[in-house]
Amino acid sequence: MITDSIISVPLITLVGPPNAGKTTLFNLLSGKNHKTVNYPGATVEYAISKIHAKYNLKAEILDSPGIISLIPSSPDERVAIEALFSHPEIGMPDLIVATVDSTQLSRHLLLVEQLLQAGFNVIVALTMTDMLHKRGMDISAALLEEELNCPVAKINGRTGSGSRELIALIERRLNSHQGVPAPLSFEKSMQIDMLINSYRDIERIEKKVLYELPVKPDSFNLTEANKKLVLLNQPKSSIDNLRLDRTTVQIDNILLHKVWGFLFFFLIMSLTFTSIFWFAEPLMNLVDKGFSELADFAQSFLGHNVIGDLISSGIISGTGSVMVFLPQIIILFLILGLLEDTGYLARGAMLVDRPLSKIGLNGRSFVPMLSGFACAIPAILAARTIPNKKERLLTVFIIPLMSCSARLPVYTLLIAFLILPGKLWLGGILLAAIYIFSIFSSIITASLINKLKNRIITEEDNSSFILELPSYRMPKLSIVLYNTYSSAKVYLKRAGPVILFFSLSIWFLTYFPNYNPVVESEGLSQNQIVQLQNAERLAGSYAADLGKFIQPVMTPIGMDWRVGVSLIAAFAAREVFVSSLALIFKVTSDDEKLQESILAAMRTATIEDTGKKLFTTSTIIGLIVFFVFALQCLSTIAVSRKETGGWRIPVLQLVIFTSAAYIFTFITVNGLRFLGLD
Amino acid sequence: MKKASELNFGEKGIINEIDFTHPSSRRIVEVGFTPGQEIVLINKSIFNDPLAFAVRGTLIAIRKNEAECIKVA
Ligand SMILES: Nc1nc2c(ncn2[C@@H]2O[C@H](COP(=O)(O)OP(=O)(O)OP(=O)(O)O)[C@@H](O)[C@H]2O)c(=O)[nH]1
Ligand SMILES: [Mg+2]
Repeated sequence: MITDSIISVPLITLVGPPNAGKTTLFNLLSGKNHKTVNYPGATVEYAISKIHAKYNLKAEILDSPGIISLIPSSPDERVAIEALFSHPEIGMPDLIVATVDSTQLSRHLLLVEQLLQAGFNVIVALTMTDMLHKRGMDISAALLEEELNCPVAKINGRTGSGSRELIALIERRLNSHQGVPAPLSFEKSMQIDMLINSYRDIERIEKKVLYELPVKPDSFNLTEANKKLVLLNQPKSSIDNLRLDRTTVQIDNILLHKVWGFLFFFLIMSLTFTSIFWFAEPLMNLVDKGFSELADFAQSFLGHNVIGDLISSGIISGTGSVMVFLPQIIILFLILGLLEDTGYLARGAMLVDRPLSKIGLNGRSFVPMLSGFACAIPAILAARTIPNKKERLLTVFIIPLMSCSARLPVYTLLIAFLILPGKLWLGGILLAAIYIFSIFSSIITASLINKLKNRIITEEDNSSFILELPSYRMPKLSIVLYNTYSSAKVYLKRAGPVILFFSLSIWFLTYFPNYNPVVESEGLSQNQIVQLQNAERLAGSYAADLGKFIQPVMTPIGMDWRVGVSLIAAFAAREVFVSSLALIFKVTSDDEKLQESILAAMRTATIEDTGKKLFTTSTIIGLIVFFVFALQCLSTIAVSRKETGGWRIPVLQLVIFTSAAYIFTFITVNGLRFLGLD
Repeated sequence: MKKASELNFGEKGIINEIDFTHPSSRRIVEVGFTPGQEIVLINKSIFNDPLAFAVRGTLIAIRKNEAECIKVA
């Protein structure tokens, strides 16, 4: 239709098996302004973008999740595959660029054959050609083109070479093809025969198009050449016949060793987490200090009035409480990104599959759970890769128990209260203990829920674990950095406004209606007057009214309404707890850092009725326990609803985790007191 | 004829047939385990499950019970 092509720009969808280089190619071809679209069924967001201006081609390009075959294996896969034929929002692609890892030619051509059979307009992009060269092989694009009867371009995703040729092919192809693709329909009994036949055909093609590179003697120095000679003279072992990456096999012999494998796994995981704290701590302090100085500056500039207080305590401190945990998020994403890029995470998934399957999870739950330590939102999205519905729901269910980085500022503050200055190393140990505690809690929760789930969810999906272990490679820092940058950006965009909004609300609730209290000012210094005014204002504020309402709930766990208000505020996002404590205890951050002044205020705070100290070892530990369990994050609830397709799971999560938090805090605080530890 | 799950470390086998009654069998074929292919057991996870096989120039981890539907000679 002519009108159609004039009005809308053509859509190019990248399709390929997992890890074939789609996202890399997408980043190469796309312009700056990515937007994300929901992949139906897979509510995971996929980026769509205009082709980069330098290519001078008016078209949009869509990244998509990796698929192995056009024949779905689960109901969710069916939705994803049907979306390829007609996406509810963006329609059918005008062209498919099928990425094929050239080191995995036979396996990846299967999908290409199916795409062609279905009648799609296809261009093949051969990726990882650099890796193929390293194995002393090359591939003839011309021959492959002839065999498949569709255009083929070679791409090096790491250097970007070949992308212009690909664009030229796309341009030509967009104008030529006609016809409407239709889903493959085969009788169930025919499917496997069809697959085996396709593979036979592909093997024939593979033999034709792959060839060994001649060894260029002048490109090696002498020792290198000698080494090559020695290697060539050796009889080929069976491993060589398998065309496996030698280094990968050698590394796996250690990292997947029957006994040591698990030990290395724990070592790598603990190293990952400890390094996050090492790197993040100084950066956090820097951000913290920067914002509290800015707040002080604003206050002294604007004076102690409504505007000055709004800007310094409301806006600047509120923003600061969003920014302060950014270093941790960035570092966590960075380290996870590096780990993933090396290829180790797939091994991790394999190592934990068996234990996780015992509690109703899957090896594929590993990466989502690990991401849960950064942030539950991308983690819940990542659970999409679990084909079995029951296992996926259970994974989503327990992800909020993973100690996400929003809890870190809270834990940091509470731990700082517990330990004496000069014993900072103890802080690290306590933090590690909290993490281990949260992991154990999630394991126990998963197995408990798993028992119940059997009654709730009746459909029995086939539980399966089939995962490719990619070759190890040096992670490419620039790619990891770019991904970290975009994750951090998405995160700030999503969580930032919520946190700021709630910080401002808390500021409002603690400031009004009695915003200009009259106090006895005779013989008092300016500073003391401000302090007194702050206390008066708070005592007559909306927050105090609200607080009296919830006081009965807080008393059993040894806390008062001020903590209660902060806990309620923390349901927006956990890190709001810190900024709201700061506001409620009217921290005047002179030239100290924000955290230190909160701590000072906390140490002197007393419960109004009894005059007893509010924050004691037992209540602080109780608060930590509360934060381990409680689901205090609006975004998590929203994403969980979207991903599980209803309110049932998020409501269950909210109720179960929050009542568990309350009950366990009650037990902890009173238990500790009973044992004589106040 | 034995099952792929019964191979030893580093032992080679040629796939003879796939047991199509196993619910994972189609996916197993789709990832490259087809009759006639040579496979080698490269790694076992702790508890001997899952198993990593070399097939078509790559490593693929599958569960032991899924490897049972691959018959090798
Ligand atoms: N050496 C080399 N590495 C590449 C090339 N293209 C991609 N990679 C790497 O291969 C890995 C996977 O690439 P992605 O682009 O994330 O693959 P994908 O197809 O989007 O994967 P999924 O989204 O998981 O399906 C990354 O570590 C890339 O850096 C290439 O041409 N050469
Ligand atoms: Mg991708």
